Amino acid sequence: MKGRFSLIAISLVVILVFIFSSSLWAASKIVIGHPACLSGKYAKAGEQALGGVKACVDWINNVYGGVKIGGKKYLIKYKYYDCESKKESVTSLIGRLITVDKVNVVFAPYSSGLTLRGAPVAESHRMLYMDHGGANNKIFRQGFRYIVQTIGPASRYHEGTLDMIHKIDPAAKRVALAYEDSEFAKMVMEGAEAHAKKLGFNIVFKRTYPKGVTDLTPLLSAFKGAKPDFILGGGHFEDGQLFNRQMADLDINVKALSLIAAATLPAFYKALTSMAEGVMGPSHWEYGVKYSESRAKKAGLPWIGPTQDGFVALFKKAIGKNIIPDYHAAEAGAQVLAYVLAAKKANSLNSDKIRAALGDLKFMSFYGGWDIDDTGLQIGHSMVDVQWQMGKRVIVWPPEGQTGKLVYPMPTFAEKAKGKLAVPR
Amino acid sequence: MRKTVQRYYPLFPVFAAYFILFLVGKNVSGMWQLVSTLLFYCALGQAFNIFLGMTGYVDFGYVAFMGVGTYGMAIAITRLAHVEALGVLIVAIGFAMALVMAALLSVAVGAVALRLRGAYFAIATIGVNEGFRFLIEGAKIWNGSDGMIFTAQLNQILGRETASALSTFWADVIVLIIAVLAAFVTLFYMKSKIGYALTALREDEDAAVVMGINVTKYKIIAFITSASFAGLVGATSWALKTPYVFPPEVFEIHYTIEAIIIVLLGGAGTLLGPVAGALIYGISKYYLSIFLPGFQLLIFAPIIIIIIILFPEGVIGMLKKSFRDSTLMRFII
Repeated sequence: MKGRFSLIAISLVVILVFIFSSSLWAASKIVIGHPACLSGKYAKAGEQALGGVKACVDWINNVYGGVKIGGKKYLIKYKYYDCESKKESVTSLIGRLITVDKVNVVFAPYSSGLTLRGAPVAESHRMLYMDHGGANNKIFRQGFRYIVQTIGPASRYHEGTLDMIHKIDPAAKRVALAYEDSEFAKMVMEGAEAHAKKLGFNIVFKRTYPKGVTDLTPLLSAFKGAKPDFILGGGHFEDGQLFNRQMADLDINVKALSLIAAATLPAFYKALTSMAEGVMGPSHWEYGVKYSESRAKKAGLPWIGPTQDGFVALFKKAIGKNIIPDYHAAEAGAQVLAYVLAAKKANSLNSDKIRAALGDLKFMSFYGGWDIDDTGLQIGHSMVDVQWQMGKRVIVWPPEGQTGKLVYPMPTFAEKAKGKLAVPR
Repeated sequence: MRKTVQRYYPLFPVFAAYFILFLVGKNVSGMWQLVSTLLFYCALGQAFNIFLGMTGYVDFGYVAFMGVGTYGMAIAITRLAHVEALGVLIVAIGFAMALVMAALLSVAVGAVALRLRGAYFAIATIGVNEGFRFLIEGAKIWNGSDGMIFTAQLNQILGRETASALSTFWADVIVLIIAVLAAFVTLFYMKSKIGYALTALREDEDAAVVMGINVTKYKIIAFITSASFAGLVGATSWALKTPYVFPPEVFEIHYTIEAIIIVLLGGAGTLLGPVAGALIYGISKYYLSIFLPGFQLLIFAPIIIIIIILFPEGVIGMLKKSFRDSTLMRFII
């Protein structure tokens, strides 16, 4: 009996010593809170974001060696819940993350609407709120003080495309804008129009079409008469591929065609096959983009984070699937890196100090450049432009990220119908 | 006098539930935002129950009234923000606009759709919801598909601190008041001629007509009341709490489905039912999303099916059956 009592006592002491010592040895934690969209309408983007954050947290903890602040080493912990892509859940979960889980920073959910929904709650707690999925510029005109953007703003989606054509073909001046009547597409095209005018392009046609459109021939016939050199358009996948298909049917040929949201998807080429050859689309990030430590050096920016292939490997490990991450994953991951650099720079975990440090931060990672303006709007990240060439997506812009040369002008639809592919010279 | 007080006994458990929710939200750290979600579901359920519960008609386009109410508040704020003298009165104007716009829409819809019954009525109301959304987007009414974001205007007219308090606390308190008002109106209808007429038409509309009840009149009363409360809920939960309006988000049919689930879970046509349904629905969803993020809907769907099979008349309907002759029934209807 006595022996059994001693055994229990010794075991208890061992357990207590273990718990006590392990808590002493363990590094302190910085907690990232995230009401992720794991179900509902943004589930696909949400899963990617989750994988991207986990991949970069893994890299910070295990490769970078944690974060040193005030001489103390911190590891990053990622705390997430599923907001179901619903605004009611976003506020309740952000409330819980801040007050119960005591997180140090909140990552916004996906989309501009959900990001906006969470912003007042984060602001009321003076909590840093990092946006990786809300592209609407208007978020940053509302006077929020703790919000910082990693995703490129909607107004800059087509800046790269316009810069590229301006450089390659200065004679091409006639631009047509034909896009979906949606908040996102309108914001994109407003930015494109402003940038086009700045570069000296003439907007020869500008018109929207309704969501869920099933016939674009009246609109396409109307702009055929305007004889544009190139077209910026689209809105979503369905209308984007309809746009391309009906341009082919009507044999409307332009030197370049760039469609938002649709043209970068593999399903776009699957649906259109050779008719998609030479068509372009802007993307925040694409696998294959050539951002690297040496390119960062050239650009005079500090580099942080895994290489592109390192990120892809960590992403696959994080989500347990053998898939290539898309831009949702990359921008969410880059946000972790921005936070770590700013916390180090501020030498503090205080949201106000980190927010101030983020304002002065400029860096490059596998995702590309990162820099924000006073309102928190992302201004340092360039979109990449992707073009379908011989059935493959090739990054043609910006020069520091390109994997191939632009095929310009793209083949005509008659040539494509005969099997001609977009082959760079 | 005693009889008059007794009429209102059923409000006690409803108000007790709201009071406890408020206390939990105020005093338990991290609970306020959950409580605010629960209050939203309670108010939504109470408002929807006035029509679905009392008439048996399923209005799949119910969210349209919330959407219009949201626009009412948004229009008041965006159009009047420059009138500095208005101050907090702008919110009162917003509520008035939300109420009037939702009521007007319900009159227009009710005049046509309430001549239909069953599936035809349900389909017609879906059409109204989608049609109204496309009208706003297509005709570019109220900024069309661009929607409105008005945090900056709210900050400008109320000041940053007050605007923030309005979004994160006072909006939820107003939702609580709307839920209380909806419960009060529900009980008033239940205990009046309106309630008896609605019960008669819910049980057998043709028989009610033969009995000389003007069913169209009573259906329209329930429809407009329910829609007006929806407008107020939209103006508060979607405009004051979330200072933006995008048409696809405020006309999302998903919210009508949630309202139907809440009312059926708790017990359609009962006073306490929508509160019970909202609490079961909101709390289970919240904790499942915390403990099993990403899998909660997989688990939640069978739970709802089991509850509906076990309690076809809802949780409160089952309680009413079980305690039919007890004094408890004075409090539960």
